Amino acid sequence: MQNLAPPASLWRPSGATKIELLASATVALVCVGLIVYPLFFLLAESINVGDPQTFPPKDIGIDNFIDLSLDLTVLLNTAYVAIAATAMAIAAGFVLAWILTRTNVPGKALLERLLEIPFYLTPLVGALAWSILAAPKSGFLNQLLVTVVGVSDLLDIYTPFGIAWVMALFEGTVAFVMISAVMKSMDPSLEESSRVTGAGKLRTLFKITLPLVLPGLLGAIVFVFAEMLGSFAAALVLGLPGRFFVVTTAIWQYTLSYPPEYGKASALGLALFGVMFATLSFYRWMVRRGTFATISGKAFQPRPIDMGRARYGLAAICWLYVFVAVILPIAALLLTSCLRFATVIVDQMSFTLQNYETALTLDAVRSALTNSLELGIGVATVGVFVMAVLVWIIYRSRLPGRGAVEYVVMFPQSVPRMVFGLALLTAWLNIPIPLYGTLWVLAIAYFTVLMPLGVRTLSGVVLQIDKSLEECAQVCGATWAYRMRTITVPLLRPGLVAAWLLIFIASVREIGVSIYLMGPNSKVIAPAIVSSWSSAGTELTAAMAMIQTAAVLLAVLLLLSLTAKYFKGA
Amino acid sequence: MRQRILGLVGAASIFGLVAGNGQAQNAVCPSPNEVAGFRTCANIAKAEQEGKLVIYSTDVEQGQAKIVAAFSASFPKIKPTYVRALSASLYAKLQSERQAGQYLADLVNVDVVLANDFLKKNGYARYVSPQMAAFRSEFKSKPEGYFTWAQLAVAAIAYNPRLLAADQAPKAWGDILNPKYAGTMNVKSSNSGVQHFVWYTVREVMGKDFWKSLASQKPKAFDSYVQQYDRIVNGEDKIVIGAQYSGYLEFKAKGAPLDFVFPDQGVPASPQVWGVIDKAPNPEAARLFLDWFLSPIGQKVMQEALFLNSPRDDAVPPPGGVAASQHKLLFPSDWDGFLGSKREFNTEWDRITGLR
Repeated sequence: MQNLAPPASLWRPSGATKIELLASATVALVCVGLIVYPLFFLLAESINVGDPQTFPPKDIGIDNFIDLSLDLTVLLNTAYVAIAATAMAIAAGFVLAWILTRTNVPGKALLERLLEIPFYLTPLVGALAWSILAAPKSGFLNQLLVTVVGVSDLLDIYTPFGIAWVMALFEGTVAFVMISAVMKSMDPSLEESSRVTGAGKLRTLFKITLPLVLPGLLGAIVFVFAEMLGSFAAALVLGLPGRFFVVTTAIWQYTLSYPPEYGKASALGLALFGVMFATLSFYRWMVRRGTFATISGKAFQPRPIDMGRARYGLAAICWLYVFVAVILPIAALLLTSCLRFATVIVDQMSFTLQNYETALTLDAVRSALTNSLELGIGVATVGVFVMAVLVWIIYRSRLPGRGAVEYVVMFPQSVPRMVFGLALLTAWLNIPIPLYGTLWVLAIAYFTVLMPLGVRTLSGVVLQIDKSLEECAQVCGATWAYRMRTITVPLLRPGLVAAWLLIFIASVREIGVSIYLMGPNSKVIAPAIVSSWSSAGTELTAAMAMIQTAAVLLAVLLLLSLTAKYFKGA
Repeated sequence: MRQRILGLVGAASIFGLVAGNGQAQNAVCPSPNEVAGFRTCANIAKAEQEGKLVIYSTDVEQGQAKIVAAFSASFPKIKPTYVRALSASLYAKLQSERQAGQYLADLVNVDVVLANDFLKKNGYARYVSPQMAAFRSEFKSKPEGYFTWAQLAVAAIAYNPRLLAADQAPKAWGDILNPKYAGTMNVKSSNSGVQHFVWYTVREVMGKDFWKSLASQKPKAFDSYVQQYDRIVNGEDKIVIGAQYSGYLEFKAKGAPLDFVFPDQGVPASPQVWGVIDKAPNPEAARLFLDWFLSPIGQKVMQEALFLNSPRDDAVPPPGGVAASQHKLLFPSDWDGFLGSKREFNTEWDRITGLR
């Protein structure tokens, strides 16, 4: 029997032993260190005006920041596509979330699963697919339009709007997930009251539903906008043909040149960081404010609005989205992957399975896919438990500085992944431990950049568990470890499984960091696809993308079937 | 021809190429062994004991995979792996690693500018391969044994005849400035060593402002010849400027509708340079690979995998193509000027292609 007294000491929160606290503090310090250490290199590089490959810099100055004025067009381009993509993602996410959570649309469960598929795809896959579909001369859709309506070049994906469209479809899925979560947690009694008092469905939507979800919606807008600012793949595949550069692709170009312009890339990245940091700080403020506005403690059973025959029209809208975001791109990729050379001109088409054969002989697929899956499983498994400890420290302990820990672990979300990757490259190259060039450095890097995702996912679950359950057990004499094992972890299990899945998928589709840290014996699949796209041809890249997509979907389905029981009732 | 001669003389002056390289070779490797159909001075037992080989290469992924597979077939105890990237980024990666004291790569293949930079930084380990006797002196480092031109990327103009009739296509370098081609052409990005070579050598023929004038034609820039050819096959663009002859042969072999133009003023032949890296973790395997790669066997595999021209004196043409010696090749007349022009090229080319 110990710790019968209620928690009082700063260093003995919730009855944890000194060893447990020491272990927790160590975990927190290591995680913070993993983030702060590379940022130091990033800052140092941004003021390096001498040899970019000399560290520490010999010549320092602010020339790289002054040079940002030369990139004004790039900054404006970035703002344009981020705003357009956010607008499209939020509009689609809101409509789809409303249909699937608030109405009696048929096939709801299936549609929800299908709408999540773009999240499993590497953004590059979406960009590649849409370049096959809507390239002005050769896109399948344009060819179809020529045949049907006799008009050529009607669609052009190589435009800022095209880039934003692809970003919204494949990186904006998160908007649908976030808005759905808000709508699911909304008390429907207000909507019902509105309708009982004679308001129509649309009036109820705009006067009741929208204001109720507004805080969550604004949070989603800010979060998605920050995501879009750091987006890379769509701008790379679709921007270059249109001579359209955004910050991430400009950074990519700077780091590809020799001598590499790391200083300019870092300064440009830090400029983007400033904007992302501001928007994400605003997002966090909105979320905290919005939480109390949308979630009530009262138990309720959401009742969908009966849409009558209109529900079929609404289902059609969802299916149209599935067609545009899932079926059409995958079909285009599948067809292209079976061509000897990518073409949409029917009499030029020559079918073969050679691309799959070639892809499977490449290191870029064979070892890279295995490495990616191994890394995904490893990082997700270790990450979930470490991040759960972090969440416990941040939200349940009274450790001094826990607020700062929260702030720092969310930091990588504010830095464009490409820039963080550059910082990690410099940092891990210059550490006197031979980790660079191994899968270990990728594992550490993934863990570092995915900490915000894991912590955010797990914190949502932790905050739903009433502290009083742990306190009751403590009063009854249960030790910290016993309480964790018998109360906290079992309650967290669905959240842990969900977080595992999210981290696994995010690891397998990671590009920004991997592209810098991948070595000869540590190739991973997403950057290998980027490399293939830039050097090996569309048809081979399409085959690689299909193999990756199939592997990820299989892994996800396998995991879901193995863990189905943990999701029941979650 | 004058251009070519000037180029070769220039190359000789830069690389300090002198007669008697054979003596140096003999001094380093007096008695090569014959193995698997080629001569080598590498210690094969030691190479097999190392068991690994890491190549940093600019060659396209599927071609590089074929090359290492062919090498592995002869030496199954050695497992080669490779990192593929554009010349500039590959070299930046290599330099960053070496700067931090990390030595992962055994062999490197970069463009000639970067190879010279690497030589200045003592990046290469000297190994005079017995195969080097088959390469002209101007295709090797001075002293011999640090690097060798192992591939030639001949580059000129390609177009899709289904989109552009032969009489409408450009015939000479100057034709590409014709406003009727505006918005229909693509080039490589400034990260490409081949593009730098094309820019410099054609500028020597056409005048300093030639490429600057191209800016108004709004060419689009891509990292690889594969993307360039993909786009003209699909009709997104009509003409590739600085088109790699190897890419033309590769696409042509697949049945793609393409024609290639060799302008009368000459065609740049950008060398891809190979060498064993100093402090390589698997030095014997690296030497063995270099001997195999420079030998007629390795060069044949390379030509079949990549369609690039071999710089060997006794080289056969790549599949479907003609030998480099059949073209009027352009090399820089002022190698010092060329080697020092990278920064100017980057800035000018980024402007021309819309990055800045």
